[in-house]
Amino acid sequence: MSAITIRNARVVDPASGRDELASLRVENGLIAEIGDGIAQDEDHIIDAGGAILAPAFIDLRAAIEPAFTPGGETLDSLARAAVMGGIGTMVISPTRDMPMDRPETITGLRAAALPLPVRALFCGGATMGLAGETLSELGLMAACGAAFVSQGDCPIADTVTLRNLLSYASGFELWVACPPRDSGLFRQTVATESEAAARLGLATEPAVSERMAIDRDASLAELTGARLMIDRVSTHDGVEAISRARKRGIEICATASIASLVLNAVDADGLDPAFRLSPPLRHEEDRQALVAAIENGIINAVVSDHHPMDLDRKAQPFSDAASGSISIETLLAAMLGLVHEEELDLVSALRPLTIGPADLLGLPQGRLETGAPADLVLIDGDAPWVFDAGNSVSARRNSAWHNRRFQGRVLMTMVDGGIVYNLKG
Amino acid sequence: MGRADFSYDFLHDRLITVDDLNPLDIQILFDRADHWLAINQSPDKKHDALRGLTQINLFFEPSTRTLASFELAGKRLGADVVNFSTANSSTKKGESLADTARTLAAMRPELIVVRHETSGAADFIHRETGIATVNAGDGMHSHPTQGLLDLFALTRRIGDVGGKRVLIVGDILHSRVARSDVGMLNLLGAEIRLCAPPTLLPTDVDRWGAEIFHDLDDALDGCDAVITLRLQKERMSGALIPSTREYFHFWGVTSRRLELAHPDCVVMHPGPMNRNVEIESMLADDGNRSLILDQVEAGVAIRMAVLEQLGQRARKNTRPGL
Repeated sequence: MSAITIRNARVVDPASGRDELASLRVENGLIAEIGDGIAQDEDHIIDAGGAILAPAFIDLRAAIEPAFTPGGETLDSLARAAVMGGIGTMVISPTRDMPMDRPETITGLRAAALPLPVRALFCGGATMGLAGETLSELGLMAACGAAFVSQGDCPIADTVTLRNLLSYASGFELWVACPPRDSGLFRQTVATESEAAARLGLATEPAVSERMAIDRDASLAELTGARLMIDRVSTHDGVEAISRARKRGIEICATASIASLVLNAVDADGLDPAFRLSPPLRHEEDRQALVAAIENGIINAVVSDHHPMDLDRKAQPFSDAASGSISIETLLAAMLGLVHEEELDLVSALRPLTIGPADLLGLPQGRLETGAPADLVLIDGDAPWVFDAGNSVSARRNSAWHNRRFQGRVLMTMVDGGIVYNLKG
Repeated sequence: MGRADFSYDFLHDRLITVDDLNPLDIQILFDRADHWLAINQSPDKKHDALRGLTQINLFFEPSTRTLASFELAGKRLGADVVNFSTANSSTKKGESLADTARTLAAMRPELIVVRHETSGAADFIHRETGIATVNAGDGMHSHPTQGLLDLFALTRRIGDVGGKRVLIVGDILHSRVARSDVGMLNLLGAEIRLCAPPTLLPTDVDRWGAEIFHDLDDALDGCDAVITLRLQKERMSGALIPSTREYFHFWGVTSRRLELAHPDCVVMHPGPMNRNVEIESMLADDGNRSLILDQVEAGVAIRMAVLEQLGQRARKNTRPGL
């Protein structure tokens, strides 16, 4: 296999803080060298023309649909959308429709993922059917290769069950991802409690629901010694609760969805069902608190929370529409918006897409260093484009990002040393 | 060494938990159990040590082997033995435990053997009646004759357990057997290891004087004996552990896993077993490794030793005219 040298690239590596013009040489699927004048005679040379070269992204939360769903998102269609978004590693999350709560399911999915152009990891459903009642076979799922376990969008109401789950998972040192929602306050709500939502007549969840859930879950994590992942923090108070828990020495990490980081309730434009999301869009102060939490490391990973579904499920009044949006193709572009708005510098913006999630799962990729897997993304940081959900590579069209103007897009994605996506074809 | 050699008498008027015992008590009981074990292996098993005394076995929980063991022990010692069990007990008709205790006491038994689902029940019966009480299992608290018989059987097979590495694996949290075995092993100076999923371990179990493991392979390293515990059916259905197959995969004791232990490591189980849940079926039947039937046999002998000591003391205390 011939080596590839990418030269004249702006090499950006959040793991080391590196941001400089250099060349990067790839051999046998690994990063062989980073520096100047490192190309060898037989190397295939790619001139980056000053474009950004970063580790390919790691997305800890994307969903597919059950096999044989008409028009449904499959591993294959998701993988094609992922590489277009610069993602080299995607974690498939459990959903109510596809709870992934059996070790046999994890084994089958891993086998199905082998031919994909991206690395696919699988997150097991923590309780059977995500119902929050009966423990799944967490140990066997871990033995079958589950990356961690999650409750999907379903908070566990019963504290004894949650305690047992965290306690049991701690024996396998598994991260347990819990959506930070108080089951009672969250039930059948569609928006964040606010004056505007009240005027629209929506059933609302108060923002404290999130803080209460984080305090409760973190307390039980402290009791049991578990590793708790707050799966998509979305409020100012939620960020503070995580910060408090971390100061107590609790092993707690947090993700945020790209939608919560970029959009607020005003973007929902009243009652457009495309913006029916979970967690619901919050206030601008909440969004700003999330951006600050990226900067100071309280949020470890930003996830696409890619949630594909039939458009019929969205063709309903806001309150009746299903929640969720496809978002894996636009993950990077939306994140770069924060850089262009000068809310984040480039290294801080890329950290929760690379080394942040890699360190949580103990992955060797997500960094640019000699010997690391050659999972790379080449980015034109300034190219303007408009996302048309009608042309999405994802099998589905439900998108909160439809017709949004972006600046910056993926030119090329490399996984394991092979080019898996090239914008120019 | 006989009893005269250390001129010490068994002073207890009840056996609620092994924590009441000291090493000399255990020595006395083991010596007498040796004696009764030999007699139990002969064709003439009947003795008259407790002749004239009445023993009531009061069982509020279903039991086959423990009840049979206490009944045989009492009968072989010549006591009159009466069994009361849940199916026909007055508590079914709403009688309080205190009233049941007083009623039975009025029948003038010298010995009460009690099993109850509530921790503290045996102690309560003894306080209410003052009659020599043997705890045959109270809730999650204690099962002292099981602790005694386990260590008696183990000592007979591997010699003094002092300094030996003994692992208890399984549902420590709900197990009165585990508590009694840990008490005995501490008294006898063994190195104790406990292994279970975190959901089946009590809080602060690290203060029990044992080393705690979640990984069975790690825990087995160099062990001289492994005591497997019964997993109750109601705990297998997903609240505390996900399934029996997952339990067996991670915490089931198998011949293959035992290769990590000492080459002569033996395996014990208090019964009744769930084959291929706590213990591999073939291993349970391996006479070189498994002490399971030895434990049952030791059970009768140990209970005879306990009833003998308590009965003789009771006889002294209730001598007519005193």
